[in-house]
Amino acid sequence: MKYLMLIAIAFPVVWGACLPFLRFEETDRSSRNKYALTGALITSALVFVNVFNFKSNDGFQLIQLTNKMSIVFDIDALSCVFLCMIAVLWPLAVLYAWEYMHHEGRENKFFSFYLMTYGIVIGLACSANLVTFYLLYECLTFATIPLVMHAMDRRAIKAGRKYFMYSIAGAATAFVGIMFLVEYGTSLDFVYGGTLDLVKIGSQQNLILLGYILTFFGFGVKAAVFPFHGWLPSAGVAPTPVTALLHAVAVVKAGVFAIMRVTYYSFGAAFLAGTWAQSIVLGFACFTIVFGSVCAWKQQHLKKRFAYSTISNLSYILLGVGMMCPEGLAAGLAHMLIHGIMKICLFFCVGVVMEKTHREYVPEIEGMGKVMPVTFGCFTIGALSLSGIPLFAGFISKAALGTASVSSGLPLGLVGLCALLISAVLTAAYTFEIVIKAFFPSKGFNTRTLCEFKDPTWQMKTPLIVLSVLMILIGLHGTELMNLLSKIAMNLL
Amino acid sequence: MLGYFLGLVLFPMLSGVLCLVPAFKDDRKRNLFVAAVLGLNFVFVLLSFMQEGAFELLHLTDHLALRFMFDGAGRFFLLLSGLMFLMVGIYSFEYMSHEHNRPRFYLFYLLTLGALNGVCLSGNYMTLYCFFELMSLLSMPLVLHSQTNESIAAAKKYLLYSVFGASLGLGGFFLFTVYGGSTAFVAGGVVADALHHPLQLSSDLLFQRNMLLIGAFLAIVGFGAKAGMMPLHAWLPTAHPVAPACASAVLSGVITKAGVLAILRVVYFLYGSNFLVDTWVQYAWVTLILLTVLVGSTLAYKEKILKKRLAYSSVSQVSYVLFGLAGLNAWSLTGALLHAAAHSMIKDVLFMSAGSIIMHGHTERADRIDGMGRKMPMTFACITVASLGLIGIPPLFGYISKWYLCTGALMTYRNFFSWLGPVVLLISALLTAGYLFTLTINGYLKNETAESDAHEAGALMLLPMVILCALIVICGLAPKLVMQLIEFINTIA
Repeated sequence: MKYLMLIAIAFPVVWGACLPFLRFEETDRSSRNKYALTGALITSALVFVNVFNFKSNDGFQLIQLTNKMSIVFDIDALSCVFLCMIAVLWPLAVLYAWEYMHHEGRENKFFSFYLMTYGIVIGLACSANLVTFYLLYECLTFATIPLVMHAMDRRAIKAGRKYFMYSIAGAATAFVGIMFLVEYGTSLDFVYGGTLDLVKIGSQQNLILLGYILTFFGFGVKAAVFPFHGWLPSAGVAPTPVTALLHAVAVVKAGVFAIMRVTYYSFGAAFLAGTWAQSIVLGFACFTIVFGSVCAWKQQHLKKRFAYSTISNLSYILLGVGMMCPEGLAAGLAHMLIHGIMKICLFFCVGVVMEKTHREYVPEIEGMGKVMPVTFGCFTIGALSLSGIPLFAGFISKAALGTASVSSGLPLGLVGLCALLISAVLTAAYTFEIVIKAFFPSKGFNTRTLCEFKDPTWQMKTPLIVLSVLMILIGLHGTELMNLLSKIAMNLL
Repeated sequence: MLGYFLGLVLFPMLSGVLCLVPAFKDDRKRNLFVAAVLGLNFVFVLLSFMQEGAFELLHLTDHLALRFMFDGAGRFFLLLSGLMFLMVGIYSFEYMSHEHNRPRFYLFYLLTLGALNGVCLSGNYMTLYCFFELMSLLSMPLVLHSQTNESIAAAKKYLLYSVFGASLGLGGFFLFTVYGGSTAFVAGGVVADALHHPLQLSSDLLFQRNMLLIGAFLAIVGFGAKAGMMPLHAWLPTAHPVAPACASAVLSGVITKAGVLAILRVVYFLYGSNFLVDTWVQYAWVTLILLTVLVGSTLAYKEKILKKRLAYSSVSQVSYVLFGLAGLNAWSLTGALLHAAAHSMIKDVLFMSAGSIIMHGHTERADRIDGMGRKMPMTFACITVASLGLIGIPPLFGYISKWYLCTGALMTYRNFFSWLGPVVLLISALLTAGYLFTLTINGYLKNETAESDAHEAGALMLLPMVILCALIVICGLAPKLVMQLIEFINTIA
């Protein structure tokens, strides 16, 4: 069983790395696409096998670096949540990329890195201690830079460089925080409740909290916490499959996941609850929620609008995590999953518009609902869900977050509630503006100017429809999901 | 009960979707179909009078259930909306004949009806919120129907106000779930008796009580947005002038009442009138209401655009209804519900008349109707009856409700509100006379302006207006008919 985990991590890396050596002709799209999808599907299958067979404390030590540090992989309940999310979304994104990447070119390189990233993210989810996690976190940055810079024009290279600088600086900051754990913790392993050694700490509580804040903001760079969010909107120059999967799900949620790990599994929620560190976390999360939404509302570029929306929504998760209680963690996990589904769907829809019509700005999509009914139908479902309308998935997590922030009893919890509600209104404003524009063009608009555009082929439609159906199903029946997540958050699995 | 739920909520919605099938491209066929649906809906409403009780349809999560119930309050509003939608529907067949995109209008007309019925049947806070949001979203296309830039902007404003209002309501929901307990509606409220008297409470319980009061205020202001209560009233005068007359009629006559029902549910079925009586919430609420009444009437008096004037009039009149709700006793509540019924009928007649004036008199301005009464005698007769009712001249329907409202205020309050309330209502009645009577006087008595080609509206437009006028007279002469419908108030206040 232990080896199965390692295979799941190594397989996509090897499979992806082999792709350039198989010498697919750039024009031989069909066999390369099938190769990539097969890889993603096999990996997802492996991941699910691992998830369904997981036993706690079934770790696998790969390398012993020093007495204190080793590379260890182990799946626990929290990993499972992350693994399930990416295992569902990755093959869909690859399928979507089949058609999308046609006009972007250099598909060999793209799919190669795309698959390798998959393996790294799985490794990240399975990391059993901070050293392993940190290693793979850095790997993730390196593996995704070629994807961000895919277009290789000046804008893309600049964005890639920015992304790189932010990420490395963030990781370095987090590393400083980790050093505090080395010094004052019993080990670097992830143990629910934390590994701090209270005897060693003595009266130096504030120092440790400072360490936590450093890790929070360090990992918070990938989670796009204000003021370290700047890289995310710029990285929107990447091809849509990258923006949708990596910059709405895998990479940014690796940052969130890191914060979950250090908060609940390294420093320990009990140690942090009620301290000034918690106030800082909550304060920045609240501010980022509103800030992201306002920026999204003002932004006219479609992809950038949703990039800012991602910034806001990531902080929803951090708000839940920052409650430092199981209820908050469960709500955060729920939003992590559900936001992944919603945002990838919205990005895919936007990607369809960009690929089919080469239009990138909100005013330009006027009247397109008529010629692309499936795309904008799915977009509408995504919009309803993201705004948190009941019967759609987004409401489930929003309700959990709202209840958690009130029941925490913290004054900042109520501020968080206000932030959530304000952001919900702004979300409705910036998503429905697009829906209205697409379905209700203003009087005198000539629909014939759009007659050359139509819905994409099945490869692009399938992910949209699958994700929309998922949103509705979770929205109508989230009982099992929420029960499972709250068990996970209380460490009962 | 499930059957009635399906009949009242899903049946209109599905029928709405059916309006889009090619077979209904023909106006005659579609109109017959819509009329049949509205008639059937009304029959369902009447049949549902035999139902009593509640059931849960499905659980979104363990804490969020879709619960529906059949009780007096819901029935009263069901009947109101069923009747008005039927009447306005009949009126719309002729009125809409000069508008474009008719199938879409009926699609959203029926969808809105389904959602509105859902609001009436809601059995807990979450369900109420859910259908409230759906209703806002689904009625938005009615506002932007003409798709001019102006109407699209108005629709966005409407949506934003509604979503913001609902969002505040959701905030109230979170506070209530955490501090109040179960959110299923129970006549008389569910807040524990222990919390009723602030003087005897420990600090913990006092905190709980204050949180609940904040929640109540949020919900009142939030749902008050739909009822046109200040400070969230501004959407009404923007949305009404640009929407087709039949859409304004239902928006103003019925959908504002959904806001009233939501507040009724929250105040009387969750918090309980005993909990809120004599608190800052009650006084803040009454202050907002009186301000709205006064400002609405004044602005209506000064407004020259006919439909905008009627919109301001709605702002002021729906707050009469809220004034009764805020009294928190059976007497005032009687006045409130009677006024809700009266205002629905009267405002529908007025908006329909305004529609005929726009359509057949070719003017939107109230100061350009001189002498039109001679060419459109029936329309102006209806305006006259409705105006008399709204001003509160006995024996028409508006009189009895105002009497209850004023005497209720005198009995309820032990401070200056006891005289301030009635004084404001009287001033507003004078202003109402000022802005409505001028229509009759100018229409009948003034000399015609040159080359007016006004002519009387067709039979289909006049019929519902005349029926409603007859009802205004009948209900005014025999208020017992309506009083029987609202006997349920004795159990809740």
